[in-house]
Amino acid sequence: MKNIFAVAGIVIKELYRRKDFYVLFILTVLVCLIMGSVNVFNDKHVVRYLKELCLLLIWVSSLVIAITTTARQIPAEREQRTLLPLLAKPLTRTQLIFGKFLGCWLACGLVLICFYIFFGALAASRDHAWPLLNYFQAAFLHWIALGVVVAFALLGSLVFAAPSSNSTISFVIVATILTLGRYLDAVALAQPEPFRSLVYALYYAIPHLEIPFEMRNLIVHDWPLIGWNFIALETLYLLAYAVAFLVAACLVFRRKPVN
Amino acid sequence: MNVIQVESLTVCYQKPGLKRLTFDAVKQLSFEVHQGEVFGFLGPNGAGKTTTMNVLLGFVPPTRGAASLFGIDVRQPIARQRIGYLPELTYYYKFLTAEELLRFYAKIFSLPHAETDRRIDQLLKLVELEHARKRPIKSYSKGMQQRVGLAQALINNPDLLILDEPTSGLDPLGRMKVREIIQRLKNEGKTVFFSSHELGEVETVCDRVAIIHQGELKAVGRVNEITGQHASLEKAFLDIIGFQTTTAP
Amino acid sequence: MMSPRTFFLLLLALLILCFGFAAALLPRFAIYENRRHQSNNFFNLLLGDSSKMFANSFFVKADEYYHSGYYPTIFDNNSNFRTPHVAEDTGAVSSHNQGGEDTSFMGAPRDWLDAFGRHFIPNRHTHLDEGGAADDLSTSDNVREILPWLKLSARLDPDNVQTYTVTAYWLRIRMHKDKEAEQVLREGLRNNPQSCDILFELGRLFNESYHDTDRARNVWELAVRYWRQLPIEEQNDNKLIFEQITTNLGQLEERTGNLPQSVSWLQAAQTVSPMPGGLQKRIDEIKAKMAGPSLAPKSAN
Repeated sequence: MKNIFAVAGIVIKELYRRKDFYVLFILTVLVCLIMGSVNVFNDKHVVRYLKELCLLLIWVSSLVIAITTTARQIPAEREQRTLLPLLAKPLTRTQLIFGKFLGCWLACGLVLICFYIFFGALAASRDHAWPLLNYFQAAFLHWIALGVVVAFALLGSLVFAAPSSNSTISFVIVATILTLGRYLDAVALAQPEPFRSLVYALYYAIPHLEIPFEMRNLIVHDWPLIGWNFIALETLYLLAYAVAFLVAACLVFRRKPVN
Repeated sequence: MNVIQVESLTVCYQKPGLKRLTFDAVKQLSFEVHQGEVFGFLGPNGAGKTTTMNVLLGFVPPTRGAASLFGIDVRQPIARQRIGYLPELTYYYKFLTAEELLRFYAKIFSLPHAETDRRIDQLLKLVELEHARKRPIKSYSKGMQQRVGLAQALINNPDLLILDEPTSGLDPLGRMKVREIIQRLKNEGKTVFFSSHELGEVETVCDRVAIIHQGELKAVGRVNEITGQHASLEKAFLDIIGFQTTTAP
Repeated sequence: MMSPRTFFLLLLALLILCFGFAAALLPRFAIYENRRHQSNNFFNLLLGDSSKMFANSFFVKADEYYHSGYYPTIFDNNSNFRTPHVAEDTGAVSSHNQGGEDTSFMGAPRDWLDAFGRHFIPNRHTHLDEGGAADDLSTSDNVREILPWLKLSARLDPDNVQTYTVTAYWLRIRMHKDKEAEQVLREGLRNNPQSCDILFELGRLFNESYHDTDRARNVWELAVRYWRQLPIEEQNDNKLIFEQITTNLGQLEERTGNLPQSVSWLQAAQTVSPMPGGLQKRIDEIKAKMAGPSLAPKSAN
């Protein structure tokens, strides 16, 4: 475990020493502050449009950070030949994969904490309310969903030739799941066979990341808390996918030459 | 117990293409390295030196045969607990400082915190990088990066040091420092296994050498035994690999 | 060295030249300024005609906000939401707020995934001005949240009159922001100078909020004049607004004691009303009032 945490620590250091996070955070803050300065019929308490915009930017930024950070981990190690001295240590390939995953995932968690604190402050400045448990539910499931994305991008970094192609494919797949994932079964019903079966199979096979994504509506419109049992079930569901992608990544990496 | 034991090692690679042809990078290679000696591993480019080293480091699995470090099969990660490795091309995490890099590798070796601090201070002094310990590695020159590489190879106080072209790209001063470090390690009873094209250096530093060509072991033994009747190790090397000189002796 | 005479002649020639240029260029400049005014809107410049599509999306977004996010997508059966409630309610009628889970557009869950996923989305039909998702009437002024989308919709499609009237309704009736409502309507009038709907709404603002009957009357009469200038086909398509204006004028005149004028307006309303009988009844009552005590039944003595 200590090896996994050691590798994870390096990934987190890399994230906060690169500029990606700061650029995205500052961009989010700027856009939200500019939008917040818009005069809406002299009413200073209008807040939901701002919350929606902020949450959307948080999702976009976190996906950018998760995918781009993860997509370059193994390829960068290969390209910069840091993989050789690393694997020459008593570190297995499985530990390396899990260490990279944990580092990227924890880094995403830290990023989300910063973003959601800003979101909470922005909302509270107009709402004068702090529904902390609601925010916690949304942020927690957001983080779990990013775990699936990180694991998927890590597998992609071992399958696809270049980080850019991996990033593009990962973005397209994740964006498609977020926007259409819920409705694939309705799409399937409208198709003739054999496409109907194919789309149905896809509907059940994909990780439904849109579930945490659509929780934004509950936060924006002040819906009550979701039952904790459902949160737990959703966490287990998404973690199962993350583990599956990680196992696949380990199996692929075992067969890959390191140089 | 030999520090390195290689027995009938064969490594086959598949050639790219549809026909699935293979070629043998290493063929039936057998040698051993004894405790406390400096062992040179020589051969022309493409002879199979790097492949052999990759097998010893666990990067590439042997197709046939076996290799072990301190009696442990090279495929076990624990076999690498007592070794240090310096690759030919030294690149490290550019966003880390030398100190952070050494600390990271020390964690992988499960060194205690106090021991880590002591080793880092000692090694940075040894490789003369104390003044740059807090600077990110991306600001280092090639020579400094090479020295960081040496420091990370020594972080766990290894009993076996595997060096791949350790003086490649270094100026004469740098090469001298590397030779000094190798000599010091030998005096401490460590084993050093390294490949090099600098035969003059090998002649000076090594106790035993092995010469490999086209994946096969051509000669192994003490330097003076290999040199034999030849004027120098270089001439012996050329003769062993079957290179005919066109110039007059 | 130029003589003074030459100098003054040159000066005169230059002045004539400048005047000639100004006279020639002024009409072109007027056209240019008009076009520039039309493209003054940043969104129109950026998006062109597609800004209307976005405007419609944002109008629907306002309705989505009105329902606290409970809204159909293109994959759902959306017949219940064919007309945005946020516009329907400008008729100020009773609410649709239903207790419990109303999944009328979602239908029954299609499978276990869909059933599970519904716990993470808005799944009840609520209205913001009736308590919203929390069913808390004290938060009814959260209906303000629809305003940014209405404002954006108006910016993107300044020619859509309904956006201005709906926005003004919510500002005036629910938010009690009369000045802001007036600003919106005046902006709407600038972009749609002869809009009867906007003039009607403006008149209601003067009448109901400012209690300024004179201004209300002026604005409504102007709306009637504009309506009568419309081609016959357009008049046929806009009968409702004419009826509303004339009915309100009738009521206003009745309140201010100008009964003959009131009757006149109600008779005008009758010409377009689908239920002239109801209006006739009202006219008869006013006529009876006009006749005064002479028409009262004689006493037994």
